[in-house]
Amino acid sequence: MRMRTPLLASTAALAMLGLAACGSGSGSGGSDDGAIVWDMWSGSQADTDALNETLEIVKKENPDVDVRLQTAPWNDYFTKLTTNMSSGNLACLTSMNGQRLSTYADAFEPLTDADLKTAGISRDDFAPGALDIMTYDDQLLGLPFDVSTMLVYYNKDLIDAAGAPEPKIGWSFDDFEATAQGATTDATKGFAVGLGEFQWMALPIAMSGQQPVGEDGTLALTDPAFADAATWYSGLVTDQEVALPAASASDTGWGENQYSGGNAAMAVDGTWNAVSYLGNDAGFDAGMVDLPTGEAGSTSLVLGSGYGIAKGCENKEAALKVLGSLVGKDAQDAMATSGRSYPARAESQPLYFSSLDKSVRGEVEAAFDAAFADVEAQRSTKDWDKVNTALQPDLVSVYNGQATMTDVLGQTQQQFGE
Amino acid sequence: MTTISSAGTRRSSRSRLSRIESRQALGFMSPALVGLALFTIVPVGLSVVMSLYDWPAFGERSFAGLGNYVDLFTSNPDFWPALRNSAVFALLYVPLNLVVALSLALALGPRIRGRAAFRVLFFIPVVTPIVANALVWKMLLQPQGLFNGISVSVLGVELPNFLADENWAMTMVVVMSVWQGMGYNMLIFSAALEQLPAPVIEAARIDGAQGWRMLRSVVLPMLSPSIFFATVMTVITALQVFAQPQLLTGGGPGNATLPLVQFIYNQGFKFQDLGLAAAAAWVLFVLIIGLTAFQFRAQKRWVHYEH
Repeated sequence: MRMRTPLLASTAALAMLGLAACGSGSGSGGSDDGAIVWDMWSGSQADTDALNETLEIVKKENPDVDVRLQTAPWNDYFTKLTTNMSSGNLACLTSMNGQRLSTYADAFEPLTDADLKTAGISRDDFAPGALDIMTYDDQLLGLPFDVSTMLVYYNKDLIDAAGAPEPKIGWSFDDFEATAQGATTDATKGFAVGLGEFQWMALPIAMSGQQPVGEDGTLALTDPAFADAATWYSGLVTDQEVALPAASASDTGWGENQYSGGNAAMAVDGTWNAVSYLGNDAGFDAGMVDLPTGEAGSTSLVLGSGYGIAKGCENKEAALKVLGSLVGKDAQDAMATSGRSYPARAESQPLYFSSLDKSVRGEVEAAFDAAFADVEAQRSTKDWDKVNTALQPDLVSVYNGQATMTDVLGQTQQQFGE
Repeated sequence: MTTISSAGTRRSSRSRLSRIESRQALGFMSPALVGLALFTIVPVGLSVVMSLYDWPAFGERSFAGLGNYVDLFTSNPDFWPALRNSAVFALLYVPLNLVVALSLALALGPRIRGRAAFRVLFFIPVVTPIVANALVWKMLLQPQGLFNGISVSVLGVELPNFLADENWAMTMVVVMSVWQGMGYNMLIFSAALEQLPAPVIEAARIDGAQGWRMLRSVVLPMLSPSIFFATVMTVITALQVFAQPQLLTGGGPGNATLPLVQFIYNQGFKFQDLGLAAAAAWVLFVLIIGLTAFQFRAQKRWVHYEH
């Protein structure tokens, strides 16, 4: 009992200290010894090895700068980024995924033309639309290192066995339905619906020619054209029965797993998984085509990731030079040749295909060319991330016929639409 | 005179000694106290402050007074469902868990051969990582899983999509949780059953008590302290449930299995609204403290201590 007062006092004092420490975080360069820290996600030792190779290229091009690589697995990366941001400990060079840029836009220093000049980079170096990946609110917040878009992946073995028409580049939604229906048998389904943001949204967007975010940056989930297309999409499960309903809202990669497990003949996923699908564990022959064309043309989005300079970076000039090397020709060529990612730099892109096996090279290149032919920038709202988090469990209800797509889109619009 | 004075010196010397000792004790305790302060008391204090602020994970913080609490109860679309889910889960899970655990403990009576082995078997789910447990259950329950496979091939009946059907998801979360948690309470009850005083049982036997009568009027009252302990702990763990719904159903479909703790997690770490999450955490805290206090008060009516 006697201890209570001093204990309370010291607790209060400590609490004040803690609060003060929290309040004083205001952005810094991340490292105390003048080194430029490059923060990047990495899922495996192989990823880290590849990043270290890039680091060597960067060091060779900038011998006077001390660059240090820091990695975390994909999901942890963003949790860590959030904590680093709130404590003002962002790494000077912070990697960012384009779809999440809107959430983290405050963390990045907008890049000016003078900055690009310091970095030794020209806007024309990049593939058309690539810079949009790292642009938010009309400000360029970083430079992209890879570009991607959504494709329809298909299982040639299942489609052949069922005698369904094989997907072809430039196909229509009628062709898509014909394949999905033709490939649906007692044992397997013709298609697998997605739960991830563009794994499910890509087809409704392609069909309606309408993004769920308006040109003014407001949420437009209830846009009639998009909502109709989304209803058609969930109807693939509930009406046409060419796809299985998701088994649980915790299966975030539902459609992709169904496809790679050989349970569904088609699924939508990003170009980033092309290489892993080609060498799938289930051992089936994988093919890929661009998204089907809707009445409003073929609308697909350019996605990807890049590197930005954190606000408050103390040695911005050195950081810019490192940034220039990270997305420079040598680093991009190395990334493309290894087949790890489809590079954002236009001249490095052909090298990506040379890393593929000859038997699939032509097909993949044709699919990529068609898919990237006229991509448009992805528009997002400030809380786009939250919108998707909120939608995901509701989609499961929709696929299971216990809610309608219109209701779910309406509720989400109401929750996040102000 | 002498006795009084000697008593007085003894008392004062003892109190001086105890003063010195308590000072020394404080010295020894201080590392632990610093840890407690840094990692428990400060975060708890901070969470009160947080709950009164509009506190995004990054960016401007602003004082919101009771705004977060008002938001929770009036405008947040998921909070009331989360409260309801936590209540439903607790109402189903606690009695089921206690009944199953008690039945198992009674069934594994002294006459069962190899009962130690059975106890280990029933206790295994408690000690295996919950992630592994949940994944196995998911594989059993999904439409392409074992249960549906057997049902379709043997009976020709398609089972519901258990984890994605809003009428079934919560049931399955409860079933899996009972399977996972029953071993712990079973062990408590088993231990208590072995400790039952033989004379009392014998006396009851001589008086002609048997079977149900014996259980209801003799065994259960004597077990009541253990049942009370198990109930308090199980109610607390039920209200804190997170891993099972997170892994099995992701809180879905919709928000059909989203309990309060997962709601807090989502608000804080997915929606990055730490203020709202802190406010919800305090609501949960008050709920647990309130229920526990109520249970302690109510125990006078039904818990029998031997002395």
